[in-house]
Amino acid sequence: MDNLSEIVNYMQKKGARFADAREHLFREREIFTEDTRVEQIVEQDIDGTGVKVLYGNGWGYACTCAKDMDSLRAAADKALDLAKHADKCTDFKVELAAEPKHIAKFATKIKENPFDVKISEPVDALIEAGAIIRKVKDIIKANSNLVLRNMRKKYANTEGSRIETDIYTVLAEIDATARANGEVKSRHYLPSPMNAGYEYFRGTDLATNAARIAEQAREHCFAKSCESGPTTLILDPEHLSLTMHESVGHPSELDRVLGYEESCAGRSFATMDKLNNFKYGSELVNLVADNTLEGGLASIGYDDEGVECQKWHIVKDGILSGYGVCRELAHKMKMPRANGTTRATKYSDVPITRMPNLYLAPGKTPLTKEQLIADTESGIYIEGRGSFSIDQMRLNMQFGGDAFWEIKNGKITGMLKNVVYNAISYEFWRSCDAICGESEFRRAGFITCGKGDPMQAAQMTHGASPARFRNIMVRRAK
Amino acid sequence: MNKVNSAIEKILKSPVTDHVVLSYSKSETQHIRFSNNSVNRENLFKLEEEVKAEVGVDGRTGSCRTNDLSEDGLKRAVAKAHETAKLLPKDPEYMPPVTEAEAKTFKDYKPEFGALTDEKLYGILGEAFGEIKKAGLNSAGSLSANPYTLEVYNNRGARVKHSNCFSTFYLTAMTGNSSFKDFHVTKDFSDYNGKAFLADVIARTRLSENPAPQEPGKYTVVLGPAAVEELLMMFLWYNFDAKAIDEGRSALSKRAGASIAGENVHIYSKPDHGRVGLFPFCPDNAMPYREFDMIKDGKLASPWYSRFYGAKKGAAVTGLPPANIIFKGTNKPLEQLISGVENGLYVNSFWYIRLVDMMDGIFTGMTRDGVFRIKDGKLAQSVNNFRFNQSVFDLLQNITEIGREKEMVFTSIPPITVNDFNFVSKTEF
Repeated sequence: MDNLSEIVNYMQKKGARFADAREHLFREREIFTEDTRVEQIVEQDIDGTGVKVLYGNGWGYACTCAKDMDSLRAAADKALDLAKHADKCTDFKVELAAEPKHIAKFATKIKENPFDVKISEPVDALIEAGAIIRKVKDIIKANSNLVLRNMRKKYANTEGSRIETDIYTVLAEIDATARANGEVKSRHYLPSPMNAGYEYFRGTDLATNAARIAEQAREHCFAKSCESGPTTLILDPEHLSLTMHESVGHPSELDRVLGYEESCAGRSFATMDKLNNFKYGSELVNLVADNTLEGGLASIGYDDEGVECQKWHIVKDGILSGYGVCRELAHKMKMPRANGTTRATKYSDVPITRMPNLYLAPGKTPLTKEQLIADTESGIYIEGRGSFSIDQMRLNMQFGGDAFWEIKNGKITGMLKNVVYNAISYEFWRSCDAICGESEFRRAGFITCGKGDPMQAAQMTHGASPARFRNIMVRRAK
Repeated sequence: MNKVNSAIEKILKSPVTDHVVLSYSKSETQHIRFSNNSVNRENLFKLEEEVKAEVGVDGRTGSCRTNDLSEDGLKRAVAKAHETAKLLPKDPEYMPPVTEAEAKTFKDYKPEFGALTDEKLYGILGEAFGEIKKAGLNSAGSLSANPYTLEVYNNRGARVKHSNCFSTFYLTAMTGNSSFKDFHVTKDFSDYNGKAFLADVIARTRLSENPAPQEPGKYTVVLGPAAVEELLMMFLWYNFDAKAIDEGRSALSKRAGASIAGENVHIYSKPDHGRVGLFPFCPDNAMPYREFDMIKDGKLASPWYSRFYGAKKGAAVTGLPPANIIFKGTNKPLEQLISGVENGLYVNSFWYIRLVDMMDGIFTGMTRDGVFRIKDGKLAQSVNNFRFNQSVFDLLQNITEIGREKEMVFTSIPPITVNDFNFVSKTEF
């Protein structure tokens, strides 16, 4: 930490309005299997330091993987040079929202360090799952992926904050592909990735789920095609994680709203004039951002501009109520403080506004999924994530799914195939007329959310109870 | 020889096993992002140096990437890769390192590029902001310079090296209710004509203003090179793995010997193209990329073969993916394609393309940053954006015109005219 303090002080002396320095270790073990063989193992041990400088109204960022002070100073000087160039090429008036000085440490609560576990142990578990999948008739491929990640950071800024964080992440997923009846269909099992230790992987029960997804992949090949037309959808938490991610999470990033992402990720229909008055969903819909959620993938204690992680509403009782906001843009909303959701993936990345942990709050009554289906005369129940696409303003969205079942007279009558649905995002959330209770709440997150230029992959948790949406336009995919 | 090279050679003098591969990469990225006619927070310089160590033991392979480039750091990476390999089950697809003789066959080219100074890069942006503001427009995009070096070494004598640079200027210009995007890909911007580039972007952005409502349906479309690239790359990525084809997991599995495109479609790879592609050899193992046809005379000419699968099938290794993708163009400029359409649409680029149905090659996605009605051979009026659900096989069969190639970082792609392109819904903007 002393090196980082010295660097930010050095920048202050050279005229920087603000500077921070982040030492960032990214350690990852990723295992891919194909059937019963290890397809690839990617071990990474990458660390370095990034220095961010505000000079006038220009930002500059430079980084180095060297540890010596000369290299750190050279990186800082480069960042300052870039900031000076930027200052001449900007119309922005940068005002940073105040943030208390933090001298703090934060760490994921883990029982077992994933990197202390012999690699053969998870490999055996993944290969066993592959073997189970391959035993099922008509299965032509089994794939799995395990990601074990550790991000250790030290952070110092010119306002006196000194923060250390130590975050562990685990993701495991398996996939079965069947070929039968002239079709090729896959089915996926993705226990929600978590900020956790290796003990989380031990509880993911890949073997039981391997058999289930293999059977369902095969069944999918023999399913009948859906009918095109408006219908009722009941969506499971994993599926909803994707719809909320694309149609609520991204449009509520304030940097997008203000055009910072125009050239790549796009802009947003959820403009600031709609705050606190725009009907984003039905009154049942509460979408909560929570970077304090224990085990949440974006729960990192303090973000990469030194702001404490927080909890707030994006949509409250159906009304647009908040955004993900960084220190530079908080004043645009007259917010006294940013809400702690600015992150960088590696040392070489500039911290930018990233989606927080975001979940659909459960309904207030103890409604179960079975009761919800029983209450539905006709419709489609969708599990998991499939094809997904949305326009750059986050309005016109089309989603598939991983598996589909027909609902008739309150009962599941069999699998369907070729289901995609198309909606305008706020019309979709307005059509929500039932959300199951807390006992049905499940998490489902991402570790590969792309944003920024250069592109960075960020992680965040989502969650939901199964929910029902009326009058959604379903198309046969072919 | 620098310190990293020396350390690598030292490690390879007494390799821990008969399979040690060390890949060293160095890149110096200067990346300036802008929005609202201003350089924003993603204004950065990053020097990244890494070594990937790969160690094989008795038919098992482990690897480790590190940026601790001291001799001890590299030895630790090798030891870690070795430890990993020992704990893995035997791999039925194990491949030993390439030989010195194999590695030597790569077709090298020596790209030349000039200095990319701060003054040059910010100067390009300053000019752009000035012209865009003068035109009363807004802008967003990025300007990036990326010189890099890759060296691959192994204990069987392979020593290959390639240095290159790609630079890009992506510019989206906006009116209050529309946008248009264009880009310039280069080595060092010595071929960049700011006046002409900006004048064209400004003219088309103005034309994009006030998009008129247009219903979805099947249209004759002229697709710009960026649009063609986005859709074609997704299609190739999902379908061209030779192993997946043989295992029935590709849309090409059920099309053996069948016509998959019009006879005017020729898609191939050429590692020594010189201006398109990143490396003439595979960065993981030094296996030279080769020149080959993917689609020719309307049929699948060759899929993509990995080292293992090429050896198993007795086919030449192409790389997975290959060195680059070239869709053979003609001399016809984009304007000529537009002039050949009486009633249709011009689509500048696509966005958020995703697979809908694997076996029928159906993809969905949105139009973005420039959709225009073509009337009597001219761009008549900008229109709202659309969502498409389109079989790429149908698209490849329905190409009536092919224009002049535009070179991008990894591809060289022409604009095309396509009949019956299937738009299924529209946007509010």
